[in-house]
Amino acid sequence: MVAEIGFGAIFITLIFTLYGIGAAIYGDRTKSQRWILSAHQVLKLVFPVMTISVGSLLYLLATDHFEVVYVADVSSRSMPLYLKLTALWGGQAGSLLFWSWLLAGFSSAVAFRKWDRDRDLLPWVIVVNLVTLAFFLVLNVFYENPFTRYWQDASGILVSFSRPEGAISVFPRDGGGLNPLLRHPGMIIHPPMQYLGFAGFIIPFSFAMASLIKKRSDDRWIRLSRGWTLWAWMFLSLGLVLGARWAYDVLGWGGYWGWDPVEISALMPWLTGTAYLHAVLIQEKRNMFKDWSLVLIILTYLLVIYGTFITRSGLLSSVHSFAQSRIGPIFLVFLTLTILVSAWLLSSRWKILRADHVLEQVLSREGLIIIGVVLFLGMLVASFWGVLFPILSELVTGQKVTVGPPFYERVAAPIMGGLLILMVLCPLAVWSIVSYKHLGRLLWKPFLVSLAGIALPLWGGYNRWPAVIAFWLVAFVLAVNFFEIIRRTRVRRKTEAESWGTALLHVLKRNQRSYSAMIVHIGVVLMALGIIGIEFFQTETQATLAEGQQLSLGSYTMTYEDLAVFDAPDARNVARAVVSVERDGRVLGELYPRRDFYYDSGQPVTIPGVRSTLLDDFYVILVDWKAVTSEGATFKVYHNPLVKWLWVGSLVFIAGVVFATWPGKKTNPRQER
Amino acid sequence: MKKILLWGGLLLLLAVLAFGLFRSQQGQVNVGELAPEFTLESFSGETYRLPDLRGKVVVVNFWASWCESCKPEARDLEAAYQYYLPTGEVLFLGVDYVDTEPEALAYLEEFQVTYPNGPDLRTEISQAFRIRGVPETFVIDKSGRIAHLQIGPFSSFEEILGIIDPLLD
Repeated sequence: MVAEIGFGAIFITLIFTLYGIGAAIYGDRTKSQRWILSAHQVLKLVFPVMTISVGSLLYLLATDHFEVVYVADVSSRSMPLYLKLTALWGGQAGSLLFWSWLLAGFSSAVAFRKWDRDRDLLPWVIVVNLVTLAFFLVLNVFYENPFTRYWQDASGILVSFSRPEGAISVFPRDGGGLNPLLRHPGMIIHPPMQYLGFAGFIIPFSFAMASLIKKRSDDRWIRLSRGWTLWAWMFLSLGLVLGARWAYDVLGWGGYWGWDPVEISALMPWLTGTAYLHAVLIQEKRNMFKDWSLVLIILTYLLVIYGTFITRSGLLSSVHSFAQSRIGPIFLVFLTLTILVSAWLLSSRWKILRADHVLEQVLSREGLIIIGVVLFLGMLVASFWGVLFPILSELVTGQKVTVGPPFYERVAAPIMGGLLILMVLCPLAVWSIVSYKHLGRLLWKPFLVSLAGIALPLWGGYNRWPAVIAFWLVAFVLAVNFFEIIRRTRVRRKTEAESWGTALLHVLKRNQRSYSAMIVHIGVVLMALGIIGIEFFQTETQATLAEGQQLSLGSYTMTYEDLAVFDAPDARNVARAVVSVERDGRVLGELYPRRDFYYDSGQPVTIPGVRSTLLDDFYVILVDWKAVTSEGATFKVYHNPLVKWLWVGSLVFIAGVVFATWPGKKTNPRQER
Repeated sequence: MKKILLWGGLLLLLAVLAFGLFRSQQGQVNVGELAPEFTLESFSGETYRLPDLRGKVVVVNFWASWCESCKPEARDLEAAYQYYLPTGEVLFLGVDYVDTEPEALAYLEEFQVTYPNGPDLRTEISQAFRIRGVPETFVIDKSGRIAHLQIGPFSSFEEILGIIDPLLD
């Protein structure tokens, strides 16, 4: 019964969306507010109805209804309740339903905003949202139905949603359980954040498309969608960071980012989304880049769909890929239509998007931002090429050639360097003009302080020159931002006769947008610090140790103390080693690297033991062991300098974005037109 | 002209994606089918032709040094190879997929792999088997048919034995 309710809710939503699309188009064509209002009501309704469907699947997961194929595939009796619930996105059908639900959530939320001033955009915002939602619902209804059940007749076990003639229900005793790699706290939040980021871009995309369809040349769509874009971008950023953290904690290879095609597919919309957020600044301040802003936001959404297509169609193999599925061809049709319609709209409206101003000075703030946008797009081109290259090479030469991490790293390193230089100059540059004297005056003090960024790493033994330059740039960005805050606070303090604390608070409040950007940039450079540390200075070793034997790496020494193999209550066989760690003769504590073997899914997962400080991580993986004999255990050990700054920086970064989206008094850079 | 380039580029991109999708939809060679013929030249210079190996069970393991999920099974595969070595009835072949030789050799040394391994030159073998990633392992029976297809790593030495033993009776 619950499965019927769940499927019925998807089906009803699909009917609603099809009606809503028709009503909105008809209403716009005939100027009938009644039809548009009707479509508007549909947009508000899709989320509550889809919630019934998601609620049904969650209920089936929580109550071990293994007669439902999806539940039997991704859940098992031994899993704790919270994991059973997160299994909602543990497989193809459930995660598509989850995706549809989030899309419906964004669509309904945007329906509840005040539309009085933007009546002309409304029908097309409805159409774009509902067309996308309808596509995902079609996937759930016709291709990946999460409510399909097991049946049995004389011919054997059948899989079908409705009862085949003469068949009886089958209730498997237990399910296969969730992939062990997904049974990690990071995995509880990483996929929803990623999906929220992906689905959230539907809103700015739908505003942009509506604006194009209505042949509007103003920037109203940007103002309407700014908050939504920032939230989507924050979720996408969070998704990427949490994915990196999960890889670091669970995949057990001492790294955080593997340039896997699916990672790159998630990075690509982030790159264009980031470029877009910078490009709109120029549109707001200088009324330039109208065309670029549209291209970038449309590209962002197309890349979301493209990335989803790649992940779910089985086009590329990756740790993220879902099992081969029938949805590939229909997904390609949807992608093709979305690309062609967007490209046609852009090319047919191109002339009305001409800028009111031209770029006057490269070293002006807009000039520097444009360079930044170009750098982001450069990384996008490299990423796109890297993902497409294996398919292209197979098509042209008959053999599949993949590009590995070194290709991406060679491109990313100089681009990151360029972005750091821009982060030094941008906060000090002025819109539309350039004054070298002004720049020089503001730069010399931070420059002197930033020299510590060279001295400190050299003193600490980090002496590879590309890394030293990178450290210096990081220090320079931090110093510039620090001096800038001090300078503005001092001015405020003098003019308003306030204390340092009050003046600082007022300065931050007065220009929330500018300071939130500053916090985001500080977060980015702190993350860069972690990346430089691990990329340039990671060391590793491996050895098989008998109990009591030691292994050294850098200034650390670890001793293999003990190993226990036991069954945990959640149907897991755990092999857990105890190693003690000391540094320069001082005992620091114990680590417990382990390998969990899940009986239900028959898969192992490696959990490293990590001692983490702001200076470095000592990361131990249990590779192999001999349970009975005294031959000992094999450990792989990594020393990852500064990597913690990657996570600290991420927190600062997210805090900056939250600050940017926080409701409060915001300065309006230019009067709305 | 610009428009032609734009539309041409977009259509080309979509065509490439369609081709990739078509290839991926074909899936791997199926269990029960005759294994595709291939020749593997090992890192140490010996040549192995599948048709010459009829009468033996052949385990073809696709791996790569950059593949993290290949590592857990590397020692189990070697242990299984050592287990069957005295019987002479089972041959293990490692096919190194899209890799560089120094890294591949270091990987083999790290996991003390001694059975024949060689590079998948021009990705011919992986294309013939239509693999979708690494690790993937095809167990070929004495008559040359695919008896088992393992996607992802084996979880234990015993699991490998459980698959090969029935093929030897």
